Amino acid sequence: MELYVLFGTFVFLLLIGTPVAFCLGVSSFATIAYLGLPPVVVFQRLNSGVSVFALMAIPFFIYAGDLMVRGDIARRLVGLAGALVGHMRGGLGQVNIIASVMFGGVSGSAAADASAVGGLMVPQMKARGYGVDYAVNITVVSSIIALMLPPSHNMIIYSIAAGGRISIADLFTAGIIPGLLLALSLMVAAWFVARKRGYPTEAFPGLRMVGTLFFSAVPGLILVAIIFFGVRSGIFTASESSNIAVVYALAVTFFVYRTLSFHDFIEATFAAVRTTAMVLLVIGCAAAFGWLLAYTKVPATMVMALQNISDNPIVILLLLNLVLLILGTFMDMSPLIVITTPIFLPVAMAFGVDPVHFGVILILNLGIGLCTPPVGAVLFVGCAVGRISIWEAVRTIWPFYGAAFVTLMLVTYIPGLSLWLPSLFH
Amino acid sequence: MQQSMKRLAIWTGLIARAALWIAGIGLVLMTGFIAAQVFWRYILNDSIVWTEPASVMIMGWFIFLGAAVGIREGYHLSFDVLLYLVPHRAKMVLFSISDIAVAFFGGGMIWYGWQLAAKTSGNRLPSLGISGLWDFAPLVAGGGLVVLFSLERIARRAAGLPTARFGEDPVEA
Repeated sequence: MELYVLFGTFVFLLLIGTPVAFCLGVSSFATIAYLGLPPVVVFQRLNSGVSVFALMAIPFFIYAGDLMVRGDIARRLVGLAGALVGHMRGGLGQVNIIASVMFGGVSGSAAADASAVGGLMVPQMKARGYGVDYAVNITVVSSIIALMLPPSHNMIIYSIAAGGRISIADLFTAGIIPGLLLALSLMVAAWFVARKRGYPTEAFPGLRMVGTLFFSAVPGLILVAIIFFGVRSGIFTASESSNIAVVYALAVTFFVYRTLSFHDFIEATFAAVRTTAMVLLVIGCAAAFGWLLAYTKVPATMVMALQNISDNPIVILLLLNLVLLILGTFMDMSPLIVITTPIFLPVAMAFGVDPVHFGVILILNLGIGLCTPPVGAVLFVGCAVGRISIWEAVRTIWPFYGAAFVTLMLVTYIPGLSLWLPSLFH
Repeated sequence: MQQSMKRLAIWTGLIARAALWIAGIGLVLMTGFIAAQVFWRYILNDSIVWTEPASVMIMGWFIFLGAAVGIREGYHLSFDVLLYLVPHRAKMVLFSISDIAVAFFGGGMIWYGWQLAAKTSGNRLPSLGISGLWDFAPLVAGGGLVVLFSLERIARRAAGLPTARFGEDPVEA
């Protein structure tokens, strides 16, 4: 019965448009009251849920991303990508994907990637005669790559949602090969669509030009190295390395590139406050919600229910993936990570899936959800950048969804893609 | 009614702006504190004990203040899809129920946050040396703004004025 109160209140509030954080908070409150427990527990959990040092990596990485978008780092990375792959079939489409790989490596936010890379690439692609739908499709789906490559703050959210026992360094490392695999499969899809539609290629600018552009983009690329090796070697915690990312982004954009004005700095700060306050409140309220899930033994019940359906991990993983894909079309990524991790991770582990591997599956899966209607934050950003309707974008997006789905299946059923690279560091 | 709501919006707009500035300054301070901690630890081989707990406390302030402003500006993640199918009047009623639920939760943040603060006010926080009630002050302050801004939304809607929603352009007061 208490589960009906918990999920009933949650779903009702969600459907009438209540912010997700408050859906979690109010439904926890109602359930605690129903169970006759002291309601102060909800607020105690909320407060302790946001007073965690490891969480600080989230505002810092988002802040660093906002600074880099406003401070020209993204534009230089796109320039370098253009010189590297512009001469391939589907030229600017390939550039868009490689730019997402590079920018994803410095920002880790799919929405930031779509607005930064898309904002630069979509107008260029339009001008060179590419269909706007093609430009938007690639922009949108390739931003999932940003979620897979370090520093992905969603992986930190996953690690915290899983109780903080999963190494962030391992998660960061585990996402690299799946992220590059996704880039590769999207490039193949972009190649096929471009060939069918007869899109042009760019001239190769010559090695000297590649060198110049590389040199201009190098400060951004160094940041990737600092973050990754800092966290991987254990010299810095994730929170400290995210802080270094902010300081470094400030230093580069203020003093080296001189592209960030004081006004940009204030705007970036407010943008980061807005995004992170929202995400972290969801995490805090989910701490209360998760406590109730555990108290009412939902994860254990879920494991048993699924064990009755099948004892085959292949079937269970497919089932989990389908449920996550469906949820992902309706809801945003960070709330889904914090809600589904405590329920699904025990299930996956009961079927022998490594928690690091499951994290990569979860992030990639929910990343696809960001690109699908009816609710897809990144799809909305992409359509806004290209000024086309969601319908126009989605009509021709199938090859790219297909490429992402194939990657998801490969990542799901070949654990080595995720686990081999981290294993080298142990 | 509309005129007085618009006058009120000037004041609540100022409060929201102030809260956003405090949150923004908090983020910059956090950045500075942790940067100092890293510098001291790795360059000067010395450790500062207060930067980490101080930053965590500042993070509490910026989350709860920033989240409260989010209610006024409508940037919280929410799910509006089914509401497209509902007639306008019914939708307004549902939005108001939603705002009441949010206000109710904000009330809980004040009431229970206050209780927790009262209980811990006698403790000293290790390494910061201030009273334990500061741990819960952001919860209470954020709760206050949550209540204020959701009541404002309900009143604006009753007066026939627009309220900001997720995914739309911000409403100018």
